[in-house]
Amino acid sequence: MWKDLADLLFQAYEQFSLLPLFIEIALAFIFIAILSTLIAYSAILIKRYRGYVYDKRYAYISPKIEDLITEQVLLNPNLGKDLPVDDIEFDQEAINNRIYRKPFVRQMMIDTLIQYRKNFRGEVGELLRKMYIDMGLEKDSFAKMKTFRWERKIKAVVELTQMDISISDVTILPLTNSGNASLRAAARNAYIQLSKNEPFKFFDIATEPLLPWDQLEMFKIITTTKDIAIPNFSRWVSYSTNKSIVSFCLKLIAHYDQQSAIPAVMDLLANKDHYYRADAINCLGKLSAEVSEEKLVKIYNNQPLNCQIEILKALGRIASGKQLEFLKSEFLYSSNFDLRMNAARSIIKHNTQHSRVMVEELMEMTHEENQLIIKHCLNPLIKY
Amino acid sequence: MANILVIEDDDIMLKAIRNILGKDGYNVITAKDGKEAFEKLEQGEYDVVVTDLMMPYANGLEVVSRLRSDETKRSVGIIVISSVGNEETITEAFRLGADDYLKKPIMAGELLIRIRKLLANKNSKSQLITKKK
Repeated sequence: MWKDLADLLFQAYEQFSLLPLFIEIALAFIFIAILSTLIAYSAILIKRYRGYVYDKRYAYISPKIEDLITEQVLLNPNLGKDLPVDDIEFDQEAINNRIYRKPFVRQMMIDTLIQYRKNFRGEVGELLRKMYIDMGLEKDSFAKMKTFRWERKIKAVVELTQMDISISDVTILPLTNSGNASLRAAARNAYIQLSKNEPFKFFDIATEPLLPWDQLEMFKIITTTKDIAIPNFSRWVSYSTNKSIVSFCLKLIAHYDQQSAIPAVMDLLANKDHYYRADAINCLGKLSAEVSEEKLVKIYNNQPLNCQIEILKALGRIASGKQLEFLKSEFLYSSNFDLRMNAARSIIKHNTQHSRVMVEELMEMTHEENQLIIKHCLNPLIKY
Repeated sequence: MANILVIEDDDIMLKAIRNILGKDGYNVITAKDGKEAFEKLEQGEYDVVVTDLMMPYANGLEVVSRLRSDETKRSVGIIVISSVGNEETITEAFRLGADDYLKKPIMAGELLIRIRKLLANKNSKSQLITKKK
């Protein structure tokens, strides 16, 4: 049979080789197109079949899992009796049922417990965590951390974080500096949430950048996590070589109004990188660091535009009144529109008798475009 | 036995609240979105409505607003449960007439206590009104 098939193929090849070249090329294209279509269809069919099987299993298992959680956690008779959660026991027969030994079901169990934990805290939340531990599901999550696939590692990190299970530094710290941006972000967020004493320790070893989106996520986590130990961020401003970490720490210094960090932030004004300097000036303004005013004015003329704008903004935020004349001269004599706009805003921001008189004077003595700038800046609906 | 309408689009949360309230002896009716909630509100009388904010068809604020603008349902106690925690939304909910606001994740015990308090307030109010009459 194989011989016949080989003969047939050989004959087909002989006939094919006798065809004109453009027909051969066309046939080759047709063959490739049909083959690609078949492969694509097969892949779609396989994926759909897997989805169908998953949905079927899910529909069968999901109610059982929900019933188990309802009976053992939500309707647990020991809830509300002032018993420590650790002393509340589950029905061992129910949680050790054979069905919950299958990996697919265990993963579903973890996902469902996480869903519940997102909705419930307090005693119920703690009992959900206990169920996760008692069923040995945290071992499944730790096993996932050891795989080579980064997406599974992220899943494990998220599961352990949601369930408030501490992960050893040896395991998680290397992940906070992973080359994979998603894994790195997940590990860093987890570290902040899980580490009670030094949640920002990974800043010390971070060589990979903290991307802007990750900064947003991390900021949200830092500001919403309860009982987080907030360190003095000036330590990283002074010593970190990672630019994104320094930039992020400057934002945190401003957010937590860490006045003790002002000297370290002022040291950054001598840095060669003008983006660093702009961030530092912005931070000084938000800290209302009056002590930095003179230095800011002194370095003003040697700065690029972004830093000059930040200096003008900072003077408006500090608003000590000592630099009003400087702001006035910048407004009157600068040729750059943005600088004039920010100078005007900063003068108005002072909102003192002196500054109000100055604004009136400027309105009278300056040209039409500058008057428009002042009118625009005086509009209370335009936020500064 | 008080009648409570729970409006929540998340199946897990809906079942969980139903079980928790049911365990405490309340008669719990559920709705999965704003539209279904309006139908249920038309059909029956409720002592308390527990509603989520973000839902399809009509959100929780619309439910609150509709209840407060209806003469016959004005006395229904309303508890909003939501993961939205910004000041604007919370104040808007109270401005429209919500009695209480719980931010997710919630504590089951806290929900029960708030419902009990709401029902107790409602009872004492109705007693006062009957006494006045």
